[in-house]
Amino acid sequence: MENILDKEIKGIIDAYPEVGKILEEYGIGCAPCSVGSCLMKDIVGIHNLDPQQEATLMYRIEKAVYPGRDIPEPKVDLTKKAAPKKIMYSPPVKKLVDEHVLIKRLLALIPSVVEYIENNVEVDKELVLRCVDFIRNYADKYHHMKEEDILFKYVDENAEIIQVMYKDHDTGRNHIRQVVEGAENGNKAQIKEHLFGYRDLLTQHIKKEDEILYPWIDRQLSDTQVGEMFRRCNEADASVGDELPKKYENFINKLEEKFLKEVVK
Amino acid sequence: MSGCPGSRTMDFSEKDVQNESETGKRQSQLRQWPIQLHLVSPQAPYFQEKDVLLVADCVPFALADFHKDYLKGKSIAIACPKLDSDQEVYIEKVKSLIDDSKINTLTVIIMQVPCCFGLVQVAKGGAEKATRKIPIKQVVVGIEGGVLSEEWI
Repeated sequence: MENILDKEIKGIIDAYPEVGKILEEYGIGCAPCSVGSCLMKDIVGIHNLDPQQEATLMYRIEKAVYPGRDIPEPKVDLTKKAAPKKIMYSPPVKKLVDEHVLIKRLLALIPSVVEYIENNVEVDKELVLRCVDFIRNYADKYHHMKEEDILFKYVDENAEIIQVMYKDHDTGRNHIRQVVEGAENGNKAQIKEHLFGYRDLLTQHIKKEDEILYPWIDRQLSDTQVGEMFRRCNEADASVGDELPKKYENFINKLEEKFLKEVVK
Repeated sequence: MSGCPGSRTMDFSEKDVQNESETGKRQSQLRQWPIQLHLVSPQAPYFQEKDVLLVADCVPFALADFHKDYLKGKSIAIACPKLDSDQEVYIEKVKSLIDDSKINTLTVIIMQVPCCFGLVQVAKGGAEKATRKIPIKQVVVGIEGGVLSEEWI
């Protein structure tokens, strides 16, 4: 089993698809992950399953990988703390979760924005660039930079799960560069492809952060670190001023109003 | 079983104690004096930028590993929200801890009995009056010594 624990999850699922299905049953969505470079042992640790669940999961995976082996029934380490039923975030992490809400509101509008662009003769460049402005300055500069400059510094930045997050941020930036190029050239297909690409990427990315990464980081933080991170995030927010989040919330409100009206028309 | 849960008589002397080692001496983790909230100065050096515990009087008697698990590395003030007088002073002191001593975090540790939640209200009252914002945690201890909940509020 040890050699399986040290392997990348994508390789394991490619070789033994049943493992992906077993992980799904435990709410561990590695099968559709585009990167899949997390090690098996990290995945099990990160999800903070209770001891009985973890032992049963590992037993089933081992049976799937080595069907011919005589594998002993799972031993349960009752000294391990069970996972809390409800996710409880520390205040600085809760702030980051709350910021996801505004980003998710834009992601929900992307199909309407794309449909609007496709149905008009000329590309509404201003609309596209205003969405890009939100993504670059709120989602990326205001939110992702706090993750990269503050949050991720409290854990091992070389951990695969953190590397996956960095890669997602970079992939998102590439999608947005393509969207801008599409807007400059009036290329509707290019805008559509990369706005949808961004939406799919960020939807999964935010889900991973809210449900897996942030709780995992929170479990490792001491009270002192929580206080320090809270202060550093507040300082980062103060450096851009109160107006920035208000401005982008206002933008999303107006965008929702515009497309709600479009639907009603 | 009636009356105030905070002063109801209960006896759990028959409770089983499992595999506890009583060998060796433990060192106190207390690094300051005084500790009672009326007696401490919120601007004392031992509060400056520290993680501070605001603890109900009964907690350290119930929580066996209080020193090791909670007090270590932190500063402390204790109070009883049921019996202490002049609790508006407590609210001002919490405010001063946050604004003047710039404490890093405040952890309020209370017993499970309803009257003890008054100490959380004291902490919240001080935090609302303060200009700075800090993370505040609430820990609830059962009368038989277990930690019933621990959450940021």
